[in-house]
Amino acid sequence: MANRWQLPDLGFGVGLRSVHWAHILGEQPAVDWFEILSENYMDTGGRPAYMLDQIAERYPIVMHGVSLNVGSTGELDREYLTKLKQLARRTKAQWVSDHLCWTGVAGVNTHDLLPMPYTDESLRHVAGRVRQIADMLERPVVLENPSTYLEFAASTWRECDFLAALCEESGCGLLLDVNNVYVSSFNHGFNPAEYIDALPTDRTVQIHLAGHTNYGTHILDTHSDTVIDAVWELYRRATERMGRVSTLLEWDESIPPFDVVHAEALKAREWLPDAT
Amino acid sequence: MQRDLKGLQRWMQATIVSGEDLDAAGTLILPSATLDPLERLNIYRGMYEARLVDALRADYPGLVALLGDEQSTDLAELYIEAHPSRSYTLNRFGDSLPDFVAEVEGLRRAAFVQDLARLELLGTEVFDEQEVAAAEFPPLAGVPEEEWAKVRFYTIPALRLGSFRYPVHRYLAAIRTGGMAPRIPARPTRLAVFRRDFQVHHLVLSPGAALLLGALASGEALGAAMERCPAMSEATVFRYFQSWCSAGLFHRIALPA
Repeated sequence: MANRWQLPDLGFGVGLRSVHWAHILGEQPAVDWFEILSENYMDTGGRPAYMLDQIAERYPIVMHGVSLNVGSTGELDREYLTKLKQLARRTKAQWVSDHLCWTGVAGVNTHDLLPMPYTDESLRHVAGRVRQIADMLERPVVLENPSTYLEFAASTWRECDFLAALCEESGCGLLLDVNNVYVSSFNHGFNPAEYIDALPTDRTVQIHLAGHTNYGTHILDTHSDTVIDAVWELYRRATERMGRVSTLLEWDESIPPFDVVHAEALKAREWLPDAT
Repeated sequence: MQRDLKGLQRWMQATIVSGEDLDAAGTLILPSATLDPLERLNIYRGMYEARLVDALRADYPGLVALLGDEQSTDLAELYIEAHPSRSYTLNRFGDSLPDFVAEVEGLRRAAFVQDLARLELLGTEVFDEQEVAAAEFPPLAGVPEEEWAKVRFYTIPALRLGSFRYPVHRYLAAIRTGGMAPRIPARPTRLAVFRRDFQVHHLVLSPGAALLLGALASGEALGAAMERCPAMSEATVFRYFQSWCSAGLFHRIALPA
């Protein structure tokens, strides 16, 4: 089943990290696509920009950000949006994504993906911001379900229902991070399979996979390890419902050699519903 | 007590950035099976500080080496409290650290620490500047002598000039190579900090060379720049330009038409 924007299934990608630049340009591995962290390339004209330009000539690029601040009650950062749009043009990005979260208010940026209270007020607010941003970027906004470590007493929606409603209200697409679903389900005690089942099937343009760190009392989304089987099971469940979707592996701490990261990403093929 | 979205976000941010009103966590945040509301909030509070400390440590490795883990972390925490990030990017989060260091009381070897912070800041600026191709040394021999004064040397964006009380570049060079950090006595030092082949370099300048290069970087033509250092011989000037061109400090050299 294709997403409603007919954005392509790019296959199995890897998050582009600076420790792998030289390997990628030197060896030109057969990777389907790369996802960049937008903010790492927006304000630099040095080596990062040079490397990105080389890699973007050879591979499809998707942009993923952490500073859109879509849930904030503060002002939209128009300078940020302008630079995001310029970078998307430069890299010929297939799409641009960020997170359902807020990063700061009153001019301060915490540089964290802070959780939203899932209320009617939040839904109206975020939907309005998504529409504004999509107009400015002249492309659909794709939002990822975040890993969260607390829940607000004020919330009246389940996160999955809130996301589904947000898709309808705002026209946004989904980046389904199945590791985040698992992390939040552990932290908040919900059923992750029910979460996957509650999402609309034609909105998901990308899936994220990653490892995490389990502290016993809670799990942090550290992107520091291989993907656990429970997360792979959720991936299979999601692709059973949604069909094949561009799939990407993130690895951000204790990053191993490129081939190890790529091999972990390619494991996704074995967990597809039609895998033999 | 219910709060609207704006009130809830302002409250949560204040708890993270400055530890205000933590008691309200009990009513605004739900407990989990294993953590109470404040413990859940503290996950975010801890990550905020850790992330910003990491950003400063990445930009100021020399300061970390000089001060040690504990004192550099203390300094970073004071800075974070005084200068919360106000940008979508962490790239320039540490830009006020050299000025902040100058205000910190009781810092041992304060002048050296300030110089080191200033040099590391210039390095981060140069790292992120636009890349442009360096110009070749021009055939000045073909330029009539009376026209030399009109030649303009345009410096690359990835160049900064700085004056220091200590030769702090020697300290950075030592720790970059993993060597013992030397005890460096005070000596007035002028440096060109520039990027070439995506690496940041330091070039020591004599007082006259610093004056001349500074004038050119500010847009003055060669004649006006040389009037600032009247005692400098033509041979010395020629040697400087050869060295600066070979370091790739100019991206365009405009000869008179």
